[in-house]
Amino acid sequence: MDPVITLNAVDYAIIGGYILVMILVGYSLKKYMKTGEDFFLSGRSLPGWITGLAFLSANLGALEVIGMVANSAKYGIATVHFYWVGAIPAMVFLGIFMMPFYYGSRVRTVPEYLKLRYNEATRGLNAISFAIMTVLMSGISLYAMALLFKLMLGWSLTGSILFAAAVVLLYVFWGGLSSSIYNEVIQFFLIWLGLLPIVFLGLKEVGGFAGFVAKLKEPLLHSAKYLGTSNNPLGVDWFGVVMGLGFVLSFGYWTTDFLVVQRALASKNINSARMTPIIASFPKMLVPIIVVIPGLVALLVLPEFSQSALPSTEYNSALILLMKHYLPNGLLGLAITALLASFMSGMAGNVTAFNTIWTYDIYGSYIKKGKPDAHYLKMGKYATVFGVAISVGTAYIVQSFPNLMDYMQLIFSFFNAPLFATFLLGMFWKGATGWGGFFGLLVGIFVAAGHYLLYKLGVVHYASDMAANFYQAWWAWLADFVVTIGVSLFTAKRDPKELAGLVFGLTPKPKAAARWLARPAVWGTLAIVIAIVLNIIFW
Amino acid sequence: MNDKIETKDQGTGMGQGHVLDLKLPIGWLLSAYGVLLTVYGLVTKKEMYAISLGLNLNLVWGILMLVVGGGFLLAAFLKKGKAGG
Repeated sequence: MDPVITLNAVDYAIIGGYILVMILVGYSLKKYMKTGEDFFLSGRSLPGWITGLAFLSANLGALEVIGMVANSAKYGIATVHFYWVGAIPAMVFLGIFMMPFYYGSRVRTVPEYLKLRYNEATRGLNAISFAIMTVLMSGISLYAMALLFKLMLGWSLTGSILFAAAVVLLYVFWGGLSSSIYNEVIQFFLIWLGLLPIVFLGLKEVGGFAGFVAKLKEPLLHSAKYLGTSNNPLGVDWFGVVMGLGFVLSFGYWTTDFLVVQRALASKNINSARMTPIIASFPKMLVPIIVVIPGLVALLVLPEFSQSALPSTEYNSALILLMKHYLPNGLLGLAITALLASFMSGMAGNVTAFNTIWTYDIYGSYIKKGKPDAHYLKMGKYATVFGVAISVGTAYIVQSFPNLMDYMQLIFSFFNAPLFATFLLGMFWKGATGWGGFFGLLVGIFVAAGHYLLYKLGVVHYASDMAANFYQAWWAWLADFVVTIGVSLFTAKRDPKELAGLVFGLTPKPKAAARWLARPAVWGTLAIVIAIVLNIIFW
Repeated sequence: MNDKIETKDQGTGMGQGHVLDLKLPIGWLLSAYGVLLTVYGLVTKKEMYAISLGLNLNLVWGILMLVVGGGFLLAAFLKKGKAGG
């Protein structure tokens, strides 16, 4: 099969320039990596704008961008729910209410918080499942990247996998989390600069928003008007969107996933840590510009998308076909670089989260306790090497068994869904006990898996797979919530003194920044207000 | 690359801070892209831009990236000057 896109020397120069800068940045960070904290948490020294943009980019992976353009072609403007309902409230909540406990308690990882707040078993369950998931996910996206570049550009699968893995290994090995974060910030600018030309040309060709209104079907043009029942393009009703996506899935991901929380922990002080997700929420609100508009444009300008019903996998090619449709060589190289950057920074993010959890929560807790810091720093570097090696291995396995990808993602969703209940109760109810937390989490995971089985066996029905997914998250969360409370009532309470700094009510309130312009609450409120206004405009 | 690094001890007591001024690599990368795209836009023929609706987007976007990249470099140099003084 011929590749979809042909690159020339200028395009390759742009790609090469990016790789060169990444390697140089990694190399120049090498000399700062003296302690474990330098390598795993950037020495807790970064300013809020850097951690904020990295916080956003860690989630703006290439698969996410391609998938959201596809969703927009499929579901229309309702895709904005993944941003304005499914991200902003959780990000603001993390910054204002949860970060004081994460950053204030000086924990180095999310599982470490669970150990201090609940018990060793809860930490173990979370740390081990997270480490495995993260490193496998990194392999999955490595494979997805190689496959995309093979179909799009004709690059060899093995070549892409090994090359990307080698570059990521090099700069993470040298610069640890700092390398990863800096790459994410550079990626942030590349994604916008690489994709905005498509947005402009698309809007120009279809005649702006008026063109959408004139030519697209009415349900594709509204985010919330048709959510009364599940009879809308998403196939989900308002309860599923608000509670499943907006509450459980979104809060579970943004507030407990170490991959994103780690960025905030790298901040230089508690105010920057709290501002990190809030700073990220502003550009996050604008991401629909580069995903929803191209998705709608694809429906109108691509001949492939003119039929009324497409097989759902076809939608994933929307972004690539638009690049081919609009971009001349030169800008094409820039857009490819943006995708490559977001793949590589996604992988680097996974690898740095993995080496940190592995070193602190698994190796340093169960295998070799109490060694000097230099020992763990060295282990972190080894973990980077074998983390990348496992990713490459996973990429090869997935290549032979593509279905594995779906199964893995499915299993991961079982572990993620209930977690937010454990954190919510842990941070805001001092009565939650160690075993309450552990069994709540465990039952939540089983409820998610059980619900999935019932859905697949046809015992429970939903209008769409997405609805099943949202409701599954909700039930898993509820089970965790109820079981944690139930078990806590019958098990030994923790000594309140041990919980100081970890739980609301037993922690001194963080002092508000002197200048009101530096206060997280001010900016968080502003973010929420803008998100509400946007929701109303596109209702 | 040594001239691009700015160290700062944040005095957090949590190990030495290591702030590489990220504005510099971003600024250099985007400016280099800007120059490359602008020049490429100037030397390429009109026919190539039929797909981008007749707009020489390499030229336009190249100039834009020069402005953005230059802005980062300027901000970095102003900051450096301030810190030095």
